[in-house]
Amino acid sequence: MATTNGSNDLSSEMEVDAFRRLFPLRFHERHLLESIRPDGRPLGRARDTTISLGAVASANGSALAKIGCTTMLAAVKLEVMTPKAESPDEGCIAIDFHMPPICSPLVRPGRPAEAAPVITKQLTDTILSSGMIDLKELSLVSGKAAWMAYLDIYCLDADGALFDAALLSAVAAFSHLQIPVVSLNDDGRIVLISEENSGAMWEKEPVNKEKRKLKLESVPFSLTCLLHKNYILADPSDEEESIMETFLTVVLDSSFQLVSLNKPGGPGLAHTSAIQDCVGINKTESERTSEDIG
Amino acid sequence: MEYVSPEGLRLDGRRPTEMRQLRAEVGVVAKADGSASFEMGNTKVIAAVYGPREVQNKGQQMNDQALVRCEYSMANFSTGDRMRKPKGDRRSTEISLVIRQTMEACILTHLMPRSQIDIFVQVLQADGGTRSACINAATLALADAGIPMRDLVTSCSAGYLNSTPLLDLNYVEDSAGGPDVTVGILPKLDKVTLLQMDAKLPIDIFENVMQLAIEGCKAVANYIREILLENTKQLEFRRGV
Repeated sequence: MATTNGSNDLSSEMEVDAFRRLFPLRFHERHLLESIRPDGRPLGRARDTTISLGAVASANGSALAKIGCTTMLAAVKLEVMTPKAESPDEGCIAIDFHMPPICSPLVRPGRPAEAAPVITKQLTDTILSSGMIDLKELSLVSGKAAWMAYLDIYCLDADGALFDAALLSAVAAFSHLQIPVVSLNDDGRIVLISEENSGAMWEKEPVNKEKRKLKLESVPFSLTCLLHKNYILADPSDEEESIMETFLTVVLDSSFQLVSLNKPGGPGLAHTSAIQDCVGINKTESERTSEDIG
Repeated sequence: MEYVSPEGLRLDGRRPTEMRQLRAEVGVVAKADGSASFEMGNTKVIAAVYGPREVQNKGQQMNDQALVRCEYSMANFSTGDRMRKPKGDRRSTEISLVIRQTMEACILTHLMPRSQIDIFVQVLQADGGTRSACINAATLALADAGIPMRDLVTSCSAGYLNSTPLLDLNYVEDSAGGPDVTVGILPKLDKVTLLQMDAKLPIDIFENVMQLAIEGCKAVANYIREILLENTKQLEFRRGV
């Protein structure tokens, strides 16, 4: 934590901490005047992002994503189901976002966090409408069997920018997903072929020959920005989000087309120029992050 | 089905008195006052402690000691088949109660009256022994939060299959239908705080199995002490002491 004055003795450090707690808005505005934030980042910079694939061994696809301290664990499990009558060639994706009580002191057990169903809905809308996944790839036997992909995302540490981290972990989990090999057995039911049974005789050929990965088109990338007076702060931490409540989430895909825009009210009003600035920041940050992740 | 081969090896290649590999890390949740992750083989759990803090439900406030609350929940993807209802089902409620009572016995609650200590445990991968892993993770998280305790609480399970006492059962061995003894001890004080068993076992064999579980608890306690020592050295280093 940077002290605003240079001296290091305990009494001045206590003052800074107390000032931060008692007058949080003024503390942050003092930093914004110098175009910097309390953790030392410039206004338009996102926090360091890391992704690790395959975090959950028992799931078909999984990933752990961290933006700064915000940690999300996403896992995809596939189950066989009968497709709907109006779309016999398509599988289905069910997305669920959980905020267990470990992630934040504000989440009480027994009462789910307010943000959880909101982010679930946003994620579902964004992922399905972005066209990242072609549901026809999840089909097995037309009209009879298709994959239902259950995506569960758990927030393990909530330090701001929850939607960004959740979307990142969801995309990473889908990129890690391997569809297992199955075949149709005599009763007309789909069974998993595991490596031991591959020598056994089957009535029909395996429905899919080998474990395959999903093809992901147009991967969406999201960035949340806080709007406060004339300042735009990219990738807010939890402390910043609780003080300045107006935020704008911009989701772009890999060809920098706009997938989704969300500004859910808030005391601040935004000029259209601010929105264009946010889109610009998203572009720069997504280029920077994809360089880091490779 | 054979759980112990004639050469004396179990299904995952361990010897009957061998524990699974332990891995622990302190301070994994930045927002929590204390947190830890604990792995016993493929079972991975994260524990977070918030407190001591103000009591949220004033009706439950106690004037002479702290209120300890615990919630145990499993992630949907933690078991082989996806779980429909990860918390609020009977098993989770029972384990929450067991963990709360176990930890309450060792926290010095009279030092923090009118306050609340919350222990939340989240199971990310379940492969048998989740109860024990949760208690071990909770101990580390409480130590990380600096909450005063009488002693560490460590826990381990043991069973009896194919006429052999087995230490630290995994999911396959646990579902075999044999007895499963879970023990929680305070290692320095050498006292038992948690003891649960299901299925049937003759008394003399039970003593052997329980003794084996207690040995396992002591091994976990040594490992936890190492982790805490390492953590303290890191803190000293960062402070420039």
